Amino acid sequence: MPNAGPTQEAVLAALRPIQDPDLHRDIVSLGFVKDLAIDGGRVRFRLELTTPACPVKDELKAACERALRALPGVTAVEVDLSANVRNPRPAGAVMPGVKNVVAVASGKGGVGKSTTAANIALALADDGASVGLLDADIYGPSMPLMFGSTARPQPSGDKRMHPVFAHGIKLMSIGFLIEPDMPMVWRGPMVHGALTQFLEQVEWGNLDYVIVDMPPGTGDAQLTLTQRAGLAGAVIVTTPQQVSLIDARKGLKMFETVKVPVLGIVENMSYFTCDGCGKEHDIFRRGGGRATARELGVPFLGEVPLETEVPLSGDEGTPIVRRAPDSAAARAFRHVAREVARQLAMRGMQAEAAGQQPGDLTMAWKA
Amino acid sequence: MLLPAGARPLQLGQDGADTLTVRWSHGHQGRHAVRDLRLACRCAQCVDEWTGQARLAPDAVPPDVRPVSIEPVGLYGLSIKWSDGHETGIYTFEVLAELCQCAQCAAAKGTP
Repeated sequence: MPNAGPTQEAVLAALRPIQDPDLHRDIVSLGFVKDLAIDGGRVRFRLELTTPACPVKDELKAACERALRALPGVTAVEVDLSANVRNPRPAGAVMPGVKNVVAVASGKGGVGKSTTAANIALALADDGASVGLLDADIYGPSMPLMFGSTARPQPSGDKRMHPVFAHGIKLMSIGFLIEPDMPMVWRGPMVHGALTQFLEQVEWGNLDYVIVDMPPGTGDAQLTLTQRAGLAGAVIVTTPQQVSLIDARKGLKMFETVKVPVLGIVENMSYFTCDGCGKEHDIFRRGGGRATARELGVPFLGEVPLETEVPLSGDEGTPIVRRAPDSAAARAFRHVAREVARQLAMRGMQAEAAGQQPGDLTMAWKA
Repeated sequence: MLLPAGARPLQLGQDGADTLTVRWSHGHQGRHAVRDLRLACRCAQCVDEWTGQARLAPDAVPPDVRPVSIEPVGLYGLSIKWSDGHETGIYTFEVLAELCQCAQCAAAKGTP
């Protein structure tokens, strides 16, 4: 007699106890179980998560497989992972096909903000997300160097341009448009117009995430970007030193003032692992980023060690998550990227549940 | 109206020639006479940035002043381009809520 296999109800009942640890709801009522097919004892479905960079995707998949194998009549289980990144952006915003725009900012320069932005972008792409990286550090654009790209953005008619494709992501930098040794001497009022134009002119297409490398500090350029880019959130990069932490707080306050959610703090150059003795040296008093995050009530996204490979990778055109993916720094950046994706997914789902997706606040008055 | 945390406008609308309506995420239905909004502008041209004194004379604003277009500013406010050429003001969501003239808010303020 052929194996009748489990019923659809039995399969869903077996999956129902599995909870998404961030959303605190079970995967069945969240609608994550798609394309369920039962063929005799063979059960197959697609588990659709809210981000391809989900930090617990392997655990969730394993939990599904375990639950179904324990079900009478089941002989084989196949779970495919996919993702549907939520889009909480208002209609009519710049970069219309982009689902999440994330600012990577720092209160002061020299803390590794651009390195962090580049590695977050590449780590998200490695997890299967479609990603863009916008180098908006108008005073010191560094992405052309970090990505080893001297390409020029191609025009796409109507005064618009296509981003450059590098290391599997879309890349746009103000550095592509000027000579490398040419400083941008812009007065305040020019900054606003130039940045706004820059945001509107790039043809990003459809992307899950665009990471914006912000200029350091809290001035005109940063304000324009927070007002015009339609940010889903901001990541603050700091080093453990007191001077850097003080400025990180200022950055955080700026985002709070303009109602951009701070997704968390990254502590870069957290410690140094000696390649001779393997000991972890806390050069800059490790732990300040975590303490500041706790004090200000924002998530701590991770600590990235100082490794000589990190800046070297940037200088030679291949960021560390690609050049040395097993290094401690690359693992740390991957962790940070997944935490960012997780924070965005949580906020997107919460807004969806609360009916708080931003509406279209653009209108023309009728005479 | 006091704005609950996270509350924001979801939809703007027009009621007749001179009333802006705002549907808020917490269910409130706001109303604004547009000229009163123009007079309440808090930009540096309309209110002295250092002393807080009014620099805008109400008489200088045409009685039939209207918005031309409205745009969001980041996640925290609205910018209105006016028929008298003014366009530098930002109405934060908190300010917009404070200025609300719907029946409920008017009753709360004691102004009919």
